[in-house]
Amino acid sequence: MIPLDRYPKEITLRDDTHAVLRPMIPEDADGVWSFLRQLPEIDKSHFHEDVDRRETVERWAKSLDYDAALPILAIRGDRVVGSATLYRNRTGWKQRVGIVRILVAADFRHQGLGTALIREIRHLGEKVALNYLLAEVIEEQEAAVRALERMGFEKAFVYRNFVNDRKGRLHNLVVLLHPMSGLEEDTFY
Amino acid sequence: MICSTCGGDHLSEPGRGTTTPGGRAECPYNGGAYMGLRAGHDLLYFGRWRRMDATTIDVRKAHHQMKRLLGEISIALETEDMPAARLDLEKALEALYTAESGEGGPDALRYLDHALSYAHRVIGDLLHEKGLPPHSPADFVGWYDAGEVPFREDW
Repeated sequence: MIPLDRYPKEITLRDDTHAVLRPMIPEDADGVWSFLRQLPEIDKSHFHEDVDRRETVERWAKSLDYDAALPILAIRGDRVVGSATLYRNRTGWKQRVGIVRILVAADFRHQGLGTALIREIRHLGEKVALNYLLAEVIEEQEAAVRALERMGFEKAFVYRNFVNDRKGRLHNLVVLLHPMSGLEEDTFY
Repeated sequence: MICSTCGGDHLSEPGRGTTTPGGRAECPYNGGAYMGLRAGHDLLYFGRWRRMDATTIDVRKAHHQMKRLLGEISIALETEDMPAARLDLEKALEALYTAESGEGGPDALRYLDHALSYAHRVIGDLLHEKGLPPHSPADFVGWYDAGEVPFREDW
């Protein structure tokens, strides 16, 4: 179980305004749908499903399983303005690797929200004893790549013309890894 | 002169700092969380050791300042449950050791710079735990004898 007693957590952004971080709950379906619809196309490229469809988000909201995917939302008033999701496998060879996806509303960028969300995911990753956090970002999302690097993620690989957006255009995919504190103490069994 | 509020010496140089209406010197870090850590960070960030004309004395002084800063960070972390920040502190100490021991060779200054970056990240983590935005040295540039501050984009 991921310890969630730190939520809700209020944070102050660069412009001295506030946002609240907390895990997504089923009642957030509308807010998350609105948030996703307003994102630039490139930010939605990684989703396996059409997130512009309300049913998709409603289905997520009904089937929340924090041990598999923990979405932390950033909320201002009634509006979802950012999200950071930590995906984990319960078993198998990647059970100690957490996949990270961070999204920030276009009008909330450059306020430190993305960095704050990375800090949250890093904290949660440590709490569940992951060995690595892994983030996949399209190379054009330069601010996100730089923010991840500043927070300790290292570029592991760049796949050239590897992923396509929803219009079929190819993009380079940057894979970044963040080694966690327990990694060196780990034993193989 | 060491600032009695934050422990930094940002007020010691002529022309630096402002005063309160009562005529007392004002500390730019006053009232903020972890002001000693933020002032300690900026003392290094804007320090002479990073200049082209830095002397060995400037560099030695920076080593001492870094040791003190990391010691203070270590104390601040003692009561916090922040494993990622602890790991960054370890990396900072390792980088400082490499810079001091000469193992870094001509890259010694780069290792000192790495130590400062790790320290900055830990201070950011500590501030984040209190719900505050990360420390930005650019906000304090006017209090130091510094030229241009490299632009750091926030996401």
